[in-house]
Amino acid sequence: MEAVRLALAITRRDRGARPPRPPTLILAPAVLVAAAMLLPIAYLVVRTAGAGEDAIHLLLRGRTLQVLANTALLALTVTAATSVLGVALAWLTVRTDLPLRRLWSVLLVLPLVVPSYVGGFVLVAAFGPRGMLQQVLAPLGVERLPDIYGFPGAMVALTLFSYPYVLLSVRGALAGMDPSPEEAARSLGCDLRSTLLRVVLPQLRPAIAAGALLVALYTLSDFGAVSLLQFESFTYQIYIQYQGSFDRTLAALFALVLVCLTVAVLYAEGRARGRAKYYRSTVGSIRPLPIVPLGRWRWPALASCGLTVMAALALPIFVLAFWLVQGMTAGQPLQLVWGPALNSAYASSVATVVIVAAAIPVAILAVRYQSPLSALVERTTYIGFALPGIVVALALVFFGVRYATPLYQTLAMLIFAYVVRFLPQAVGAARASLLQVSPRMEEAARSLGSSVPGTMARITIPLLRRGLLAGAGLVFLTVMKELPATLILSPIGFETLATSIWSTTGEGLFARAAVPALLLILVSFIPMAFMAMDDQSGQ
Amino acid sequence: MSIMFGRNLAPDRERLRTRDNMAYNTGRTVLRNLDNSVALTLRQVYKSFGGPLVIEDLSFQVGHKEVFAILGPSGCGKTTTLRLIAGFERPDSGEILLGGQAVASPSRWLPPEKRGVGIVFQDYALFPHLSVEQNVAFGLRSFPATQRDKIVRIMLDMVGMGQYAQRYPHELSGGQQQRVALARSLAPCPVVLLLDEPFSNLDADMRTQMRQEVQRILKEAETTAILVTHDQEEAFILADRVALLNAGQLEQVGTPEEIYHHPATRFVAGFVGEADFLDGRTTGGTVETEVGRFPYQGPLAPDTSVSIMLRPDDVDLAPDPQGEAVIAQRHFRGSENLYAIRLSSGKVLHSSQPSTVILPLGQPVRVQAAPAHVVAFPQDPNLTQDALPTPS
Amino acid sequence: MNLGRRISVIVAGASLVGLLVTSCAPAAAPQPAGKTAGTSQTTTGAPAKSSGVITVYSGRAKGLVGPLLDQVAKDIGVEVRVRYGDTAQLAAAILEEGNRTPADVFFAQDAGALGALSKAGQLTKLPDNILNRVDKKFQSVKGEWVGVSGRARVVAYNTQTLKEADLPESIWGFTDPKWKGRIGWPPTNGSFQAFVTAMRVLEGEAKAREWLKGIQANSPKVYRDNTTAIQAVASGEVQVAFINHYYLFGQLKEKGEYFAARNYYPKKGDVGALMNVAGAGILSTAKDKKAAEAFVEYLLSDGAQRYFAEQTYEYPMVQWIPTDPRILPLSQIQAPNIDLTNLDDLNGTLKLMQELGIL
Repeated sequence: MEAVRLALAITRRDRGARPPRPPTLILAPAVLVAAAMLLPIAYLVVRTAGAGEDAIHLLLRGRTLQVLANTALLALTVTAATSVLGVALAWLTVRTDLPLRRLWSVLLVLPLVVPSYVGGFVLVAAFGPRGMLQQVLAPLGVERLPDIYGFPGAMVALTLFSYPYVLLSVRGALAGMDPSPEEAARSLGCDLRSTLLRVVLPQLRPAIAAGALLVALYTLSDFGAVSLLQFESFTYQIYIQYQGSFDRTLAALFALVLVCLTVAVLYAEGRARGRAKYYRSTVGSIRPLPIVPLGRWRWPALASCGLTVMAALALPIFVLAFWLVQGMTAGQPLQLVWGPALNSAYASSVATVVIVAAAIPVAILAVRYQSPLSALVERTTYIGFALPGIVVALALVFFGVRYATPLYQTLAMLIFAYVVRFLPQAVGAARASLLQVSPRMEEAARSLGSSVPGTMARITIPLLRRGLLAGAGLVFLTVMKELPATLILSPIGFETLATSIWSTTGEGLFARAAVPALLLILVSFIPMAFMAMDDQSGQ
Repeated sequence: MSIMFGRNLAPDRERLRTRDNMAYNTGRTVLRNLDNSVALTLRQVYKSFGGPLVIEDLSFQVGHKEVFAILGPSGCGKTTTLRLIAGFERPDSGEILLGGQAVASPSRWLPPEKRGVGIVFQDYALFPHLSVEQNVAFGLRSFPATQRDKIVRIMLDMVGMGQYAQRYPHELSGGQQQRVALARSLAPCPVVLLLDEPFSNLDADMRTQMRQEVQRILKEAETTAILVTHDQEEAFILADRVALLNAGQLEQVGTPEEIYHHPATRFVAGFVGEADFLDGRTTGGTVETEVGRFPYQGPLAPDTSVSIMLRPDDVDLAPDPQGEAVIAQRHFRGSENLYAIRLSSGKVLHSSQPSTVILPLGQPVRVQAAPAHVVAFPQDPNLTQDALPTPS
Repeated sequence: MNLGRRISVIVAGASLVGLLVTSCAPAAAPQPAGKTAGTSQTTTGAPAKSSGVITVYSGRAKGLVGPLLDQVAKDIGVEVRVRYGDTAQLAAAILEEGNRTPADVFFAQDAGALGALSKAGQLTKLPDNILNRVDKKFQSVKGEWVGVSGRARVVAYNTQTLKEADLPESIWGFTDPKWKGRIGWPPTNGSFQAFVTAMRVLEGEAKAREWLKGIQANSPKVYRDNTTAIQAVASGEVQVAFINHYYLFGQLKEKGEYFAARNYYPKKGDVGALMNVAGAGILSTAKDKKAAEAFVEYLLSDGAQRYFAEQTYEYPMVQWIPTDPRILPLSQIQAPNIDLTNLDDLNGTLKLMQELGIL
């Protein structure tokens, strides 16, 4: 398969060439952003400074280590499951003749709008041992369904609501791929399956790695789903420390362990990324992507798409609507929450703009000026994503109340918290998009007299548009769902849909929770649909 | 200073002359006196990428309005040279001067956007989100809009892409994209235009056609151009002078004829055109070989082992039953027949014969070599590589 | 722009416009269902009117206490700005904020959080007139926080499979192997941990350990809070759960009388019938102490206490306010005699539970 490997074109020029020093315009903001991301680490170090022997002992006891192992295992399996699901669905919607492709493209990404703290409730309500499904099956004599709690339930929940991370990442890569290597492989006698495994999949490695990274870190940081499905994850342990003993030292120690786990994950992803270049270097008109006819495989394909959408999207909506109706028939008045909805939309919009703007220099630095420093800067941005929201929130409380008092508990600080937590989503999307742009474009622009900032504005960013839009959509709805930092850092009285949901589900008032939950999903539809449609029309 | 515009646009000449003055005001700090007949100078340039040297002691000059080719095999450093000139790489040591002014030296380094060097990449790198028109206009930011539009139109007409102004790059074929890339680079009046393997992505007949086109465009635009290629034929057709690069070192610079007929090293001889090397021995005033004795007045001492370069057009053959050589192969090439002849020593020579002369394989022949001049390389690499031509 | 993009732009624009327009309409204020909150009636013990602005961090949910807090400004003229959140997380935030905290009053779901703040020295002593309204059992020994409403520990049971007669008289009965696989508990819940602490104090460390191990032997299902626990009881996932009494009533309100769970108060006067409190404390850094005190006093006023009795189905701290007829009157609860202040110290409980692998 030498010809095919050659066709993947690792040019001699790119191998071993040391790129020039990055211009200050790009380096300075990127470093600033990375420094901001380090605030939670600084906080954790300060807090753990007072840790005594007791703490270390608690950390090292068998049970903690077992929980750690379980968490790692969960992250691994969820990552694997979402990767498989994401790649398969991406391929089905981009490269085959699946009927209603466009519709599926939009629908399959939407499960991201369901917060894990809602999703968990829904799954338990629907599939619990005595949940809705059991009640439907009761006439058939089903007394009790098998337990969904624990590892299986947590895995299913996390997979269902985070596979779109991988799907989005891979889909963009598939759409922008150069078909020549595949065609070369087919001409060399590889059948479809072989081509997929040996040519397409390796090219998708950075995209899969980027999506899988988000999934892995999300799994580590998630509290909503795992607590509802009764899986004792490491984050759960952290929350217990806050909950029970108000011991921030111990919690901080545990969080530092989580950071170490994050570093390990980041390292693994870095290795998985590979070093080939992935932009198109052949010329001529861009040929349309080869579409694979599915034939009779169409039905299983449709079924799997349908099933995924049903489980991850239709089910939560259905259960929420059910609760709403149930509450209304029991005499509860319908409480519309437009105020929080507007707050959510506003905060999310502002945060999205800030986050995308912050992501651009980091991505450019990471892709065009590769060096140990730029890699470090890019990796650092992921730390905030892996930490439980409460840790980030408390870190900002610690620093904010001491060093940024006028800004404390203002919207600005809340937005900053969102940046710390969710920047990697935008960075990943921007990076993936930038990898597909040939650096010759920027060099051509510079040879034509365009300065560095001019080139960024006129060439790089317009060419990144699709990736940035994808990142923006992702960030928007993740910010909408955010809970712990919002509870602690938002201006007083600034209620969002997420906090509304929380305050009602916490008291078991599901009918009242249904309205903000449904509104959250509805409002989130807008940017997602927008993004998905733009994606389609751009193809 | 050269004025660049199309064929039938004499009335615009005057108006566009002022454009030259404006080129100096586009923010490029370079290049006041282009009356200086040397457009580009490289002086003892070294470059490595953290490992072995990629460019070693490279020095040459390119004259004003000259088309200069850098020729060499893959990996010899020619693209790196181009990137050094353009400003995308920084030399480890040495100097690069454009129009007499240093753009890269130990004390000074000018970024690419300030050098006024145009470059056409191997993959053309047209901006996919801009139309053809907008691509060509890209480097003309500092010009007022009407002037800019006029220049764009002129440039597109010059490259024959006038009707495609509104199209987008992905709608064009390879050749069309190349023309647009040329127009784009030429529009802002660069001091030097660099072309990186410009025809390697085109198919054969497209290649021939585009070579002629590009040649015409370059002449019309009166631009100094540096062309990088591994294709010897291409270099010979387009360039006024050719530099041979091998593993980062300059082997020879000269006109195509000089290089072809008087290669300075064995590498050059073998790279440019077909060549066979025959063992020989110098004696006073001649060199003796298997196929005869030739006059030799080179500096090598008598009784030195040498390799004589013989091109197919230097070697003639005649059927002879007593001949000591036999025909081993015949390649019909349309315009000629190329014969491979095995000598009695086992050595193979090639002879170019008219296309109608057809001799069977195995036919014994008599070989006569009549090189216009003898190019001899000492077999001992420690001796000076000297192959001075003898007047004949 | 092609058609698809145009449509999506129009849809997005219309939705945004729709959101803006409807948000301008007067937002439906969350009205308490059923009877109005006990607000207008301010009879004896009515708080004096004052003024000022205070910031309250409330670990009690907006859905529960929101209507009451909204009335504060009207009734006593103090403007209250409330941050709702999770009790433990808010306590951690206050501890992080230190003496720069913007909070003036901390309204906590349970005493443990208040105890932690007290121990860190961030609470200030409450005035005596407030403290005197509440039984000594339900306030901090230093007088730094006061209970505002009480919650009794109960055993919720599934009415479809159990009758009250089936249940043991004391919580010790649940260690019997016949309860294997039928129990649910929320070990991370503050009230539960307070309950275990009470057991350690009353009966001693060894017996507490024994009880925990006994229940553990019956493979209890772990729930993350009282709400999910009672729902599990009602659905039949488990048959009994150890929770606080008032969750039942919220569920009844939402789901109606057919909700298949009810409360059971263990008959013997042991720790199974413990009374715990939600309470409030004033931060020592409060800017307007007078207003803060007025607020806390308001929480203990007849009106507010009636609210707790009628709207959240808790036990009022002020003794002459009647409780909801459906809950067991305070007099009939054979609550153990324990000083709640001793529950401030949770660490021993946590250690024990961690040691046994429950946490």
